[in-house]
Amino acid sequence: MEYENRQNDDIVRMVNIEKWFGRVYALRGVDFHLKRGETVGLLGDNGAGKSTLIKILSGYHVADKGDIYFDGKKVVIRSPRDARRLGIETVYQEQALAPNLSISRNIFMGREPVKGFGIMDKKLMDEESMQALQNLGLRLRSPDLPVVTLSGGERQGVAIARAIHFKAKCVILDEPTVALSVKEVNEVLEFIREIQREGISSIFITHNLYHVYEIAERFVVMARGKKMTDVLKEDVTLDDLSELVIKSALVE
Amino acid sequence: MNQTRRFYSFRSSSTLVVFVTLVVVFSIFTPNHIFINERNIAALGKLFPDLGIIALGIGVLMICGEFDLSVGSVLPFCSFIFAQQMIADFSPFVSFFVSLLVGAILGLINGIITVKTKMPSFITTLGTLMFWRGILYVWSKMMPMSIRTFVPSGSPFQKLMAGNLNAYIPVQVIWFAIFAVILSILLHFHRFGNWIYSTGDNRDAAHAMGIRTDLVKIICFMIVGVLCGFSACMQSVRLGSFAATQGVGFEFKAISACVIGGTSLRGGIGSMTGIFLGALTIPIIDNGLILMRVPVFAISAFIGLATILFVLLNNYIERKTR
Repeated sequence: MEYENRQNDDIVRMVNIEKWFGRVYALRGVDFHLKRGETVGLLGDNGAGKSTLIKILSGYHVADKGDIYFDGKKVVIRSPRDARRLGIETVYQEQALAPNLSISRNIFMGREPVKGFGIMDKKLMDEESMQALQNLGLRLRSPDLPVVTLSGGERQGVAIARAIHFKAKCVILDEPTVALSVKEVNEVLEFIREIQREGISSIFITHNLYHVYEIAERFVVMARGKKMTDVLKEDVTLDDLSELVIKSALVE
Repeated sequence: MNQTRRFYSFRSSSTLVVFVTLVVVFSIFTPNHIFINERNIAALGKLFPDLGIIALGIGVLMICGEFDLSVGSVLPFCSFIFAQQMIADFSPFVSFFVSLLVGAILGLINGIITVKTKMPSFITTLGTLMFWRGILYVWSKMMPMSIRTFVPSGSPFQKLMAGNLNAYIPVQVIWFAIFAVILSILLHFHRFGNWIYSTGDNRDAAHAMGIRTDLVKIICFMIVGVLCGFSACMQSVRLGSFAATQGVGFEFKAISACVIGGTSLRGGIGSMTGIFLGALTIPIIDNGLILMRVPVFAISAFIGLATILFVLLNNYIERKTR
């Protein structure tokens, strides 16, 4: 198969993905690929299907048709556990962290290091959390602070630090800059640059073209469950991109 | 000032303040200071763990984001099974384990219904509360059953479940403390505890991080069930019989205890220290008021009042410290 031949380039390859919700078509045969170390901006209006597409990749939904190749191998992703085992980490807007839990408990959520009998190694958790945050340039007072006391930008930092710490191969950033102040947006964009420096591939979903244009290397525009455009950054200006998104939403 | 702030930043500290205040008030104002009389304390120690042990489990379940109202029926149901097994000539120990098993199964049923139907557990366990009580009334014909001959005073099982460690410390208190320690380790030090908090605090996040949130919830329901089974045996042995009216009203008292202990009704917030203190506070209100000659029927009004005032107080402190 041609996909198998190109396996060295692509960390993720989704082929002819279809998804219905009841009788409503959410995705109609979408092809999507992500190269190693690449950052792709996934754009489109509300209901374009970009959320559904990445939720299939992260195991929230199961596709009705189509294949997923990860790291060159065909995979079946039935749950977030499956996705995480492969190395797909998600940084969702409101769904990534437990607000009342401490930073270190959040970073190690579901993957707590244990000393025996399932007792958590808190010292190790605290040290490694602080280290992971520091690598990201984020200095926080204590690993015991509940996440709810952090700013919006710092929270995204915690989620991104977690992804990097667990050596994710593909990070899905779902609207990471929504509802943040200008200063916090810059912070978060800096965190994403750290992901790029680590050589981790990422998918950046957003409505804000300015944020994604600064960072992504390629853009995929979706509308009504189809992929409309797939362009490299060097072939497109910010204005072109903006026009593409608007036009795709209006065509039919 | 800074130290008071620090003190109040722990959620259970307000529970501690209320607890200590109540103890002082009751000690001073009960006739002849009978509240701190050692016989009263020993009697209290025999009585409160019945509810206390269940409240510890309910607290864990509430942190996980669910309720269990059915404890008021699961308790007498297990008690009935316990008595029946012994009447059928099984040893008390075997009957005890059967009772724990039945508790676990009833908890499992609550859990599965709640998780699969995605209904609020407030509703599903309200249903099972009424269902199991109905079944119990029909099955037992509401007849009390004496079990005194199977667990006579001084027999090993009786000593284990309702004896005295020494003149002042009844064994029930020890059981309560043991369960509090076990659950405290589970919640605060074991990785499963982190799954419980995450599930209750943000179920989507926990799910996305690969935690099997449905399974976590079901296990928490089963913990409550097993504790009901345990408490059922303990209570039956102390009473020397099964009575169909055992456990009436436990469901709301257990929730009150947890709320007074600072457990959030929305899940994700709470601590074993708080729940422990809450489980001590409710029976103390009960006992103290009785000793102060408040009519028994008015006590419910006080507990209701205390619960509401306490939640208000807690919210107030939370706003002040944040």
